[in-house]
Amino acid sequence: MELFFSLLINGLATGMLIFLLAVGLTLIFGLMSVLNFAHGGLFAWGAYGGVWIYSLTESYMIGVAGAIITGVILGFITEKLIIKPVYGDHVQQILITLGYMLVLGELIKVVFGPNQIAVSPPELLRGSIEIGELLIIKYRAFIIITGIFIFLIVNYILKNTKIGLIVRAGVIDKEMIQALGVNINKVFLYVFMTGAALAALSGMLLAPYAGVIHADMGMEYAILAFVVVVIGGMGNVTGSLLAAALVGISGAFMAYYVPELSLATNMLLMVIVLVFRPKGLFTIRG
Amino acid sequence: MRVSYENKLGSIIFLMVSCLLIVFPLVYEDRNLLIIFTQIFIFAIFAMSYDILLGFTGIISFGHAMFFGIGAYSMSIFMKRFEPEMLYVFLALIVGVFLSAIVSYVVGLLTLRLKTHYYAMLTLALANLFYVGAEKWRSLTEGADGFTFRIPDFLRERVNFYLITLVLMVLVYFALKLFIQSPFGKVLVAIKENEQRTESLGFNILYYKIIASIIAGILASIAGALYAISLRFVNTSVFSIDITLDALLMTIIGGVGTIIGAVIGSGVIEFSHYWLTSLVKLHWIFERWIIFFGILYILTVMFFPKGIVGALTALKRKARHEKKHDQSDKMTG
Repeated sequence: MELFFSLLINGLATGMLIFLLAVGLTLIFGLMSVLNFAHGGLFAWGAYGGVWIYSLTESYMIGVAGAIITGVILGFITEKLIIKPVYGDHVQQILITLGYMLVLGELIKVVFGPNQIAVSPPELLRGSIEIGELLIIKYRAFIIITGIFIFLIVNYILKNTKIGLIVRAGVIDKEMIQALGVNINKVFLYVFMTGAALAALSGMLLAPYAGVIHADMGMEYAILAFVVVVIGGMGNVTGSLLAAALVGISGAFMAYYVPELSLATNMLLMVIVLVFRPKGLFTIRG
Repeated sequence: MRVSYENKLGSIIFLMVSCLLIVFPLVYEDRNLLIIFTQIFIFAIFAMSYDILLGFTGIISFGHAMFFGIGAYSMSIFMKRFEPEMLYVFLALIVGVFLSAIVSYVVGLLTLRLKTHYYAMLTLALANLFYVGAEKWRSLTEGADGFTFRIPDFLRERVNFYLITLVLMVLVYFALKLFIQSPFGKVLVAIKENEQRTESLGFNILYYKIIASIIAGILASIAGALYAISLRFVNTSVFSIDITLDALLMTIIGGVGTIIGAVIGSGVIEFSHYWLTSLVKLHWIFERWIIFFGILYILTVMFFPKGIVGALTALKRKARHEKKHDQSDKMTG
């Protein structure tokens, strides 16, 4: 039982990190059908930017804020310079974002050096708490809480504000929204920046969890985020949360029991979903 | 008509340069240059195979490294487990080709129905699966450390291997040219231009796409096998996304959908790679040479989607157009 819960928490924590990456991906795709292959690069930049500020100020919270700001700025630049010039051309978009991913990864090596950087959690989040028999590592609990908190905020914005309404409507029918006089490009810029900020936050949260950061860390998580976005359904935030939890937990259990197959199971899940239910397991109704 | 003329011109220049390259090692002895040229030929084969997908069928695969890696590993494992003899080299090639054909058939059957986004994503993920698989299956691959192996004496001779790769590249070039001009190739181009229309004309799109991806997979596997021979070493990096990116850079910068563009791209990238890394002494930023290519690649996708070959053709066409104008001006004036 102890093992079960510990694996469950482990998986949930990973799932939340993937979820934060997937939120941006899924909304960006849902709104503009742009599949951002550079999302992993934004994730890695968030980790490096945040850790750099964390080590400068020695305050974890400022580091997290730094990561988010890095994400927002990078998101703005990316949307303006990379995504906007190739709006509407899917082939170019796919090709360009993958190339941009390469550039982002290499730029990290230029700015921060090619070596791994070790990161430890802040004083407050070190060690673990005991609940009865159960030992919970504090930092994992922190990640899970942050993830759920972000989900609630995103969900609140989507459900209860005007911009959220526009985003939700845009995912279902983009042309209709434009016909109603909404400047969808502007909305898309905001969504892109938010997505980038969440990706950066995810990278920063991962840093002390993984212990080290390196320039190529983005790809591995980006692929998991793709899996999640596919399973959860493009444009569906709640679906992404459920799918992320599923992928994280199944990954944790598989890694413990059959480590050889841990990645393969997730991949297989994605292939099955894509082949039989290309719109995802959790579809949105208009 | 003009297109076919330019097409022929490209092939003629290609053949002439290839003939020059055959005599090159006889007149000029430079081991480094020989190795660079061999690399160029190998990657030209790989990039040409990718051009079949990206340039002619309009399939964006981010998992082409899969087939490269399969070829490289089957060659390396054969050379390590058996005697380094030519017989086994051929056997390894056949096994690699066979495996790639099966993998590309299965992958194609599962994924080629999907739209571009999903296909790109899925192939990226599958290639990653192979990468992780190679890392985990240490008894066979020795993971990221990799292993060295011996190759037949005949191939150890740099000049021999240089000539073999050169001839193979020329053969692949003309075979693909013929393939593209065949009725089958015409259907592929039609699929790229307008998938729905081709389908409504009664062509089975999936069938054509799968055949195209099998051919591309087989050629990539051959390139991978040659690559392994050239290094006499293999590790998991042959499955990495960097290999796919190499093919992307070469085809895009050279010129998509031209075959010759892939060869030019391979030459440009390998040479500038060599040149840029030699500049490291001047400034450490040249160690990160790939960044220049990344930026160049982005700019190419944005402004010259047809690459070097496309830009040259446009220039020439423009020049010819102006000439015609001049003549007609003179005539009227």
